[in-house]
Amino acid sequence: MKDVRILAIETSCDETSMAIVKNGKEVESLTILTQMDTHANFGGVVPEIASRMHTENITMVLDETLRKAHAKIEDLDAIAVTYAPGLLGSLLVGVECAKTLSLVYKKPLIAVNHTMGHIYANNIESDIVYPTLALIVSGGHTDLLILKSETEMESLGSTIDDSIGEVYDKVARVLGMPYPGGPQIEKASLKGEDTYELPHPMQEEGYNFSFSGLKSYIINLVHNERQRKNEIRINDLAKSFQIVAVDELTRKVKYALQKTGIKNFILAGGVSANKYLRSEMAKLCDEMNVSFHVPNMIYCTDNAAMIGCAAYPLYQAKKFSDFTLNAKSSEDIKSYIEKELK
Amino acid sequence: MNTLYIDTHDKKIVFAYYQNEKLIRKKEREENQDHSRICISTLEEFLKEIKKTIQDIQDIVVVSGPGLFTGVRLGVTIAKTLAYTLNIPIRSLTSLECFLPVKEEVKYLAMKEKNGYFLGKLNYNRTQIEEYQYITKEEYQKQTNCIEKEEINYEELIHFAHQKEPLNPHQVNPFYVKKIEVEE
Repeated sequence: MKDVRILAIETSCDETSMAIVKNGKEVESLTILTQMDTHANFGGVVPEIASRMHTENITMVLDETLRKAHAKIEDLDAIAVTYAPGLLGSLLVGVECAKTLSLVYKKPLIAVNHTMGHIYANNIESDIVYPTLALIVSGGHTDLLILKSETEMESLGSTIDDSIGEVYDKVARVLGMPYPGGPQIEKASLKGEDTYELPHPMQEEGYNFSFSGLKSYIINLVHNERQRKNEIRINDLAKSFQIVAVDELTRKVKYALQKTGIKNFILAGGVSANKYLRSEMAKLCDEMNVSFHVPNMIYCTDNAAMIGCAAYPLYQAKKFSDFTLNAKSSEDIKSYIEKELK
Repeated sequence: MNTLYIDTHDKKIVFAYYQNEKLIRKKEREENQDHSRICISTLEEFLKEIKKTIQDIQDIVVVSGPGLFTGVRLGVTIAKTLAYTLNIPIRSLTSLECFLPVKEEVKYLAMKEKNGYFLGKLNYNRTQIEEYQYITKEEYQKQTNCIEKEEINYEELIHFAHQKEPLNPHQVNPFYVKKIEVEE
């Protein structure tokens, strides 16, 4: 079979990234230009600044990506781009660049859902074995799905309020840690003890997640303690928070694995870079005799290689977009599955 | 020399095609939907209408703003991606420079925006803009020696643009003028 090489573009948040991916697996080149240092000055991603930086850097990232693979766009098979979900202004820069390339080189344009990218990142270093349970955890998502086959998925549940990544960032902020909060919480928790009693979210059965109760509890706790001029044991609180938050995730995954009897599990999304979460999930899978997959760190956070992977089945199914493709800031995975895969 | 002109700084998007600075055709489109849906499809239609291909384009002139933030970004992204991939010269113009030269004896050229005006300070013979600023409607009311223009001379504009040195596509960036909250 002829090799399929896709140029993929990802600009959904604060990383300008492009990649060339062969056959949905082999990463020929990957460039990730992160704006993290800039946004850290403001305590979080400033959407307008993110869009501006994408525009400034887009052709340089393209140039670098092509040079690293010694590739010419005319020799590639398609242009793939993240069109949803994410920051609208940021997504638009990638989408417009992709359309321009598609127009110049007469290559098919493939619109990729960012969350699907996180799932397909698991195809890079191993192969997704179907059926598999997948948990996507990131700044915008907390989704639990069953991947039945390459084209068949079922959404089990997702967060009913804040995503896990958002909660990490907000808890980090109230504890006075710089953005991005996830790695800071993790670092602090290693130095702490689990001495805070925190409420466990949503005790009832089911697959939906809720983190806002936990978040509000911590924010109130910190404010009250500060008002009473009591010391806040930041490292301990980070540790207790992380234990409860991750427990919520593992509990739901365990329940889903038991109910469905599925023997494969994928962890994906930016928060899957969290080492404690990885080790707890690995432990759970080990206990349940389930094969556990999580992408290499570089493919967990936002990157275009995963977009190239997710574009491959769409290429084969000839699911191409025309030039009226628009970016969308939100598109939950459930409606995406209903629209695209059914 | 075949020049493509791209202007998306406003609700109305404009593509124009020139041969040796002579305007061959221009296409305007104004719709109450997102620029992103219509920009590239309009460009594709336009080239078809004038029976040209994207490879016929030999240089690009893009309006870099000020204007709608997202609008300007789309035009600039398209223009720099075209210039980079086609390996052709690119020049940028500000949305106020499109009205040069100003015949009236004034010091300032103004362009209306949603909540205020972009103001350009003209040089002595009103052929260049020396400084840009954003002012509120109230400030504009008090502004004297100022003119707001509507008519663009498209051939004059391309001649003006070609006086400039071409830019490296990587260095072509939007010109916002207006500050955003976090910058203030």
